[in-house]
Amino acid sequence: MISGTGLTKQYGGIPVLNQVTVSCNSGEICGLLGANGAGKTTLFKILLGLVTPDAGTLSIVSSSVKSVGGIIEKPALYDYLSAADNLRIFSSIQGLSTHKHTIHMHLERVGLPVDRKDPVANFSMGMKQRLGIAIALLNNPACLILDEPFTGLDPMGVVALRQLIRDLTNQYQLAVFLSSHMLDDLNKLCSRLYVLNKGRIIREGDTQAIMNACTRQYLITGNHIATSHAIRDLPHTIIGNTADIQLLPSELTHLLVALQKENIQVTACIPQPDLVQLFEGGAA
Amino acid sequence: MKRLIVAELFKLAKQRKTYYALASIFIIEGIILLSAYFEGTNIINLLLDNLRKSFYFQGSLLNGNLLQYLVLNTLWFHIPLIIMIVVSGMLTAEYKDKTIQAVMLQPIKKWQWILSKYVVAVIFTIGVVVLLYVTSYWLCTGIFGEGDLVVYLEGLNFFPAKEAAYRIRWAFIAGSVSMMFFAVSSLTIAVLLKDVTTTWIVCCLFLIICNLLLKIDLGNTWLNQYAFVKLNDTWQYFFQFTIPYQTILINWWVLVGYILFMAAAGIFVFNKRDIG
Amino acid sequence: MMRVYFVGWLVISSLALSAQGVDEDLLRMKQRLDSVVYFQVNLQLETDISFVHMPVKRALMKFEKGKPVQFSSSDFVLLPKRGLDFSLQSLFEYPVVTLVRNIAVKNGNTIKEINVIPADKRADFTIATLWINTSLRRVESAEISTSKDGTYVLQMHYQQAPDIFPDRVEVNFEIERIRIPLNFMGKGTQIDKEKLKSEGSKTGKIFMMLSNYQIRYKLR
Repeated sequence: MISGTGLTKQYGGIPVLNQVTVSCNSGEICGLLGANGAGKTTLFKILLGLVTPDAGTLSIVSSSVKSVGGIIEKPALYDYLSAADNLRIFSSIQGLSTHKHTIHMHLERVGLPVDRKDPVANFSMGMKQRLGIAIALLNNPACLILDEPFTGLDPMGVVALRQLIRDLTNQYQLAVFLSSHMLDDLNKLCSRLYVLNKGRIIREGDTQAIMNACTRQYLITGNHIATSHAIRDLPHTIIGNTADIQLLPSELTHLLVALQKENIQVTACIPQPDLVQLFEGGAA
Repeated sequence: MKRLIVAELFKLAKQRKTYYALASIFIIEGIILLSAYFEGTNIINLLLDNLRKSFYFQGSLLNGNLLQYLVLNTLWFHIPLIIMIVVSGMLTAEYKDKTIQAVMLQPIKKWQWILSKYVVAVIFTIGVVVLLYVTSYWLCTGIFGEGDLVVYLEGLNFFPAKEAAYRIRWAFIAGSVSMMFFAVSSLTIAVLLKDVTTTWIVCCLFLIICNLLLKIDLGNTWLNQYAFVKLNDTWQYFFQFTIPYQTILINWWVLVGYILFMAAAGIFVFNKRDIG
Repeated sequence: MMRVYFVGWLVISSLALSAQGVDEDLLRMKQRLDSVVYFQVNLQLETDISFVHMPVKRALMKFEKGKPVQFSSSDFVLLPKRGLDFSLQSLFEYPVVTLVRNIAVKNGNTIKEINVIPADKRADFTIATLWINTSLRRVESAEISTSKDGTYVLQMHYQQAPDIFPDRVEVNFEIERIRIPLNFMGKGTQIDKEKLKSEGSKTGKIFMMLSNYQIRYKLR
């Protein structure tokens, strides 16, 4: 488990974090959401021990020599070395085995090929992220912190990485903290969510609950949805077979039942959280 | 600690820029040899012009020892500059690529990690000077043969071949201490500045200032004798007709003191600072 | 007035009489030297020049009549141009006239001081003064003023009376201030140009020890 209580940090008189309290338990994936400049990276650097907070305490419950591993912004790799050599370097400096089989095991754990000898400069972003995670997992840390791990990945890469994180969390009971400004990624992966705005936590709790609390709009796709009577009484716009409808989460089930009665096959229902409300606070 | 040093050496050996630096040294040597081959006789004639009026010269002064002495003179600027670029790059590249963050996330002590870089800087420097000595000896003596060495240092000093070889060997050893000072200083500058380009510029400036201040009277006897800017030419003392061994030894110890101070300062600052 | 001219003419003509030709003692000494057709000697050279520091050097010198002198050494050596011309060939390359300046007796030997003046413009010296031991028929010392290279003073020392060649020669010569290309200079030497200018020409010495002569004479 990892937790930070009352974490405060300022740079040159400008507050970056203000009394931030976060925690993540083992086997849990927690998300940190915030706009650019909200303080996500600074918070993660503090959790990783790279930066000392001006105030507050950090607590990591772990029996491992290395309590927390992570990636900040993008995976930091020695571009001129191969994947295996990168792992060898990071393993050797902390006294771990650099035996060929051990290195292969680390590579296979994150789904990387074992036979590539070329420098990682030639790797795709997704492969670099995987290698970064492999390095972060050296020495079996109890916690894993990933700062915007999906940045630069194509949709398939995002899906693959999401699955990898899920599998590693379950397999090794890691406490995983990851940040993103992509709602969909956090929604699909994180059980708990913190929303950071201008260095303060403005929302925390169950991810779904937070999303629902800020959702006032849904995109509902169905055949002939434009002909539906159920949506006529609601504020909406129609684009093809998709209706952009304003309604509360509590009203969604009723609408879906009504659409079913009208024999309209709903093929997609995508909540549209109010980003201003979500990122900047205000009554949910 | 040993693991960290081995890892640093491995990284240094795997980087292309290390070999570019070594190739630059060979190119400089080659240029010196070529220049000497075509122009060396003219320079010596100019040097000994007025002696020719009174003397015949038997034997050639354009020999391997003189060429090695000319290569040795690259210790003024060319070699320390190359060393400073490579050594400072050992740290600035890590800042640039952010691998320093990745390293600091591993369970290692900051001061040990930066100390390992200082150790590797010293090892690399010694390696460069040894390589310079061996290649210059092999090339210069192989192409130009052995012979007496003439050096203008408070007069025209002539040294027989074997004695010249001895003096040159010790001058390289003395020069390696000066080079270590510059290497360690460049790493400390990298700790302070972090940025690649800024560090290069400041290292260059540091080297130029050291060379300029070497020739300037600092207005104080102690400073003129023991300021670090006055110690980097200690290798030249081996070409005075009578070698002042005691002075050389004192200079070495004082320079080692400066090296340790620079390293300690760099380690202290690095340890204190946040990596983020 | 005529009396003055007459006395003057008498003095000049008497001087001319004694200056005509080459002094006989000098000729006898030269003949003795000319009887050597070949010699070989080990040289040990020591320089005493204020701005030149050179250890003792060794060389082998070979002279063969009619051929240039040859030197061989494993080291780099500076060989004085004037000090090794024991046969004084360079003085007598062109016609000369001699003038006896002084005759003295020193340690039982008659030493004659003779000026040697070249009679040909092609000679590379302006005047030479030789101190000749007429008893032993050899040069004790010489002062040669060259056209371009300043003045040399040679002091000869002979081990034994009958020796034809010296075992020790001291050569004194003039050297102009040294010109060094700056990029060849080593340690940042402070060059005091004013001091150098005021010093003018420098002088130097070279000491030669000669040993193990192997001499071949002309067959009579």
